[in-house]
Amino acid sequence: MITTDFILSTIADGLFAAVAGTGFAIISNPPRKALLISAFLAFLGHSVRFFLTHFDLIQMNLASASTLAALTIGFFAIPFAMYIKCPAEVFAFPSLLPMVPGMFAYKAIIALIRMVQATSEADTSQYVVEFFHNGITTILVMFGLVVGAIIPIFIFHRQSFSITRPDKIK
Amino acid sequence: MDIHEELKKLTMFLADYSSTMMAVGVQTSRVVRNTSRIAESFGFQSHLILFQKNVMITLEDDEKEHTYTRVQRIPQLGLNFATNMNLSKLSWQAYDDHLSVDELEQKFKEVRDKPRESPWTVLILVAFANASFCRLFNGDATSMAIVWVATLAGFFVRQQLMKRHWNHLAVFIISSFVASMIGSTGYLFHWGGTPDMALGTSMLYLVPGVPLINGIMDIVDGHVLAGVSRLVNASMLIICIALGLSFALLITGITVL
Repeated sequence: MITTDFILSTIADGLFAAVAGTGFAIISNPPRKALLISAFLAFLGHSVRFFLTHFDLIQMNLASASTLAALTIGFFAIPFAMYIKCPAEVFAFPSLLPMVPGMFAYKAIIALIRMVQATSEADTSQYVVEFFHNGITTILVMFGLVVGAIIPIFIFHRQSFSITRPDKIK
Repeated sequence: MDIHEELKKLTMFLADYSSTMMAVGVQTSRVVRNTSRIAESFGFQSHLILFQKNVMITLEDDEKEHTYTRVQRIPQLGLNFATNMNLSKLSWQAYDDHLSVDELEQKFKEVRDKPRESPWTVLILVAFANASFCRLFNGDATSMAIVWVATLAGFFVRQQLMKRHWNHLAVFIISSFVASMIGSTGYLFHWGGTPDMALGTSMLYLVPGVPLINGIMDIVDGHVLAGVSRLVNASMLIICIALGLSFALLITGITVL
C-alpha cells in the first residue's frame, strides 16, 4: 500500500542517490551545468527503481526495474540535452552510476575466488550458484541500464545527433 | 595548397582529435560521427579504425585519387565529460562555419588544456557520494561514517598513486585494500548495526561505471570489438577491486559477505 512512510522513504532514496550520482559523476569531470541535471536525473531514476522494487503490489526484479528507471532517465535527458546543447549521455550516464551493480560484480569475483579455495563439494556448488547469480544479475542490470537509457536517444534520433549544434537544430 | 599537403594537415589534426575523444571516454559511434563530420566540412571522407590503444585514420578526397593515413596512439588522459561536450560542439562549429585547420587546432588545444575540477573537491564529493551509497543499501549512520572515512582514505591513495603514474591495476588493488581495511572496522570493533554494509560498500567508489556503460553502448551500436575491449578492461578493474577486498578479508579473518 502507498503510505506516507513509503513515499518518504522513496524520496529519501532518491535524494541519497542524487548525492551519490553527483559524487561519482565528478570523477569524470562533467561540465558544471550538466552536474545539477545529472543529480536530478539520478534522483528520478533511483526513486523509480526503489518504487518498482519495493512497492508491494509490483515487487519487480532488479533488472527490469533498472531498465524502466533508465528509460525514465533517458526520456527526461533528451529535453535537457536540447535545452543546454550538450550530448544527452554527458548527464544521462552519470545519473546511471548509482544504479551500476558494483556490489554484484565484485561478489561474483569473490565467489569465484572462494570456489577455488572450497574443500567440500557442497561448498563448491554453493559458490558456483553464487557466482552465476551475481554475475548474471550484473550483466542483465548493466544491459538494462544502457538499453533503457538509449532507447529514447534512438527514438529522438535526429534531435540527439545534432544536439551540440549551436542554434541550428532543424 | 597542394591537395596532398591539405590532406596531411587535416589527417594529423583528426588523428589527434579522435584519439583524444577515445581517451576521455566517448562512445565509439560518437567519435566516428564527429570525426567524419569535420572531414566532410572540408569535402573529404574519413575512415576510422578504433582500438583500445591506437586509432587509425584514412582521409580521402571525393575522387578517391589521393589518400593520407595515420596511426596514432591514444593518450592516457582519464575520463572527461567536459572535453566530450566541447569537442562535439567543435565538430558542429567546423561543419557550420567552415573553420580552417589552424583555427580548429587552436580551439582543440583550448578545450584539451582546460583544467579539471580540483582534486580536493572531487575527493570530498566522492566521500559523501559513497557514504550515501551505503545508505542506499540500508546502512545506518555509523556505517555511513565508516564508509565516508574509508572512501576519503582510499580515494586519496588512488589520487596520489595515479599522480605518480603507478600501474593502474596495482593502484586499484591498493586503493580497494585500504578502503576495505577501514570499512572492516565496523566488524572488528562492533560499531553500528550494519557492519556488513559498511564493509561491502566501502570500495564501491572504484567501480568503473562509465567504461562499463560505454562498453555496452558500443556493443549495442555495433562497435562490438571496441565495446568488448572496454568491458574486458572494466572487468580487470573489478577483479582488482575484489582482490584488494579479499586481501583485507584474509587479514581481518572476516568470512561473512
